[in-house]
Amino acid sequence: MHFDWSTLILQTVNVLVLLWLLRRFLFRPIVGIIAERKAAAEKLLAEAAATCEQAKAQADQAAQRDKALAADREQILADARAAAETERAALLNGATAEAARARDLAQASLDQQREQMRHELEAGARQLAVAIASRLLERVPAPALNAAVLESLNALSPDHVQALAAPGEALEVVTSAPLDPAIQAMVRQRLSGLSALHFSTDPSLILGIELRGTHATLRNNWRADLDRIAEELSQDDKQLSVA
Amino acid sequence: MIGSPLTLNVVFHVGPVAITTPVVATWGIMLLLAGGSCLLTRRLSVHPSARQAALEVVVEAIEAQIRDTMRAEPRPYLPLIGTLFLFIFTANWSSLVPGVEPPTAHIETDAALALIVFVAVAYFGIRNRGLRGYVATFAEPNILMIPLNLVETITRTFSLVVRLFGNVMSGVFVVGIVLSLVGLLVPVPLMALDLLTGAVQAYIFSILAMVFIAGVLGDAPATKSERKE
Repeated sequence: MHFDWSTLILQTVNVLVLLWLLRRFLFRPIVGIIAERKAAAEKLLAEAAATCEQAKAQADQAAQRDKALAADREQILADARAAAETERAALLNGATAEAARARDLAQASLDQQREQMRHELEAGARQLAVAIASRLLERVPAPALNAAVLESLNALSPDHVQALAAPGEALEVVTSAPLDPAIQAMVRQRLSGLSALHFSTDPSLILGIELRGTHATLRNNWRADLDRIAEELSQDDKQLSVA
Repeated sequence: MIGSPLTLNVVFHVGPVAITTPVVATWGIMLLLAGGSCLLTRRLSVHPSARQAALEVVVEAIEAQIRDTMRAEPRPYLPLIGTLFLFIFTANWSSLVPGVEPPTAHIETDAALALIVFVAVAYFGIRNRGLRGYVATFAEPNILMIPLNLVETITRTFSLVVRLFGNVMSGVFVVGIVLSLVGLLVPVPLMALDLLTGAVQAYIFSILAMVFIAGVLGDAPATKSERKE
């Protein structure tokens, strides 16, 4: 058996050299490129994870923004509802006040019209009464009229008559029709305490007499009676309306 | 090969050193493997081509085998184990080239490979455990085992040599004898079987090298260089 030691040494060196060559030109480059690819993949995965985290954070921010916007929207809607409610209440109050004012105005106008109508009716009634009284008085003889005047004069209180005018002042005697001179003399005699008398006529008196002094007027005629009746009627109406 | 498998043909001399056929064949294999690696790894890219992908598959397969067999990070052992596997595989299959005898069919080549494994076992053992720790492995499981462990260290190295040499040499020898006896096509099945045997022997040699190295690593923590790689 022959064993070649030089071949053993050469083969050992050859294998060691081959080991170095393959390590230099095969294993190291391949392992390096695999590691590089792995690092690139890990980097991509890390970037993807970072992008995912970033997207998640952005999604969270967007959700928070949406939530804030929803809250703002609800607040704005609530404010708008409150403002609308306030405005509606103000409009309602305004409309109610306006309606009350219009109703008051209408009521006042109606009352005014009613008062005016009443006055007109009263005036018409007075005119009618005057006309009726005038018609009736036309049929009454003059002596009766004069007697009525004298009777009205006599019905006046002497104290009241004296208080109408101071001594020396003129007193106006008004009747519905001119008085005869005899009647005028009787009137002068009746009012003898007074200095000056002036006689005049006012058909609206209907019947009776009216003494007009500087300080007061003394009335005893149908017109005064009708006015008094009308005044009492109007007082009764007011009491009824107040009640 | 129909002559004695222990005889070597001298191709030429370099001074007093005779350059035999296994050495020349080994140079050819070195040129093929190193040149091919250099050519194939010139334009490596993160996006691999088909050839690069094939290379990566081979390297990753060797790494996976190291990881599964040694239960350790494969990077420190990849050049040695990968070189052993690729060289033995290529050497065994070099019989396909007419006129070329596999270098592994000569015992000097197998002895060189086994010698490298023997040194590598000691190197990695000392590197991982330290000199005292490595020497202490011979006293495992007890001190009475020291002689047996020493004998085992030597004999397992010889078993590497004899196993590879016997399988490859016998295959080549049988094919040579049959070819000289019966003609052209009859040795083809034997040659195919020889190729299968060559691949299996490359795998077995690499696995045994890994087992021997892993045996001295133990549970010691990885060294700085290991962690670095």
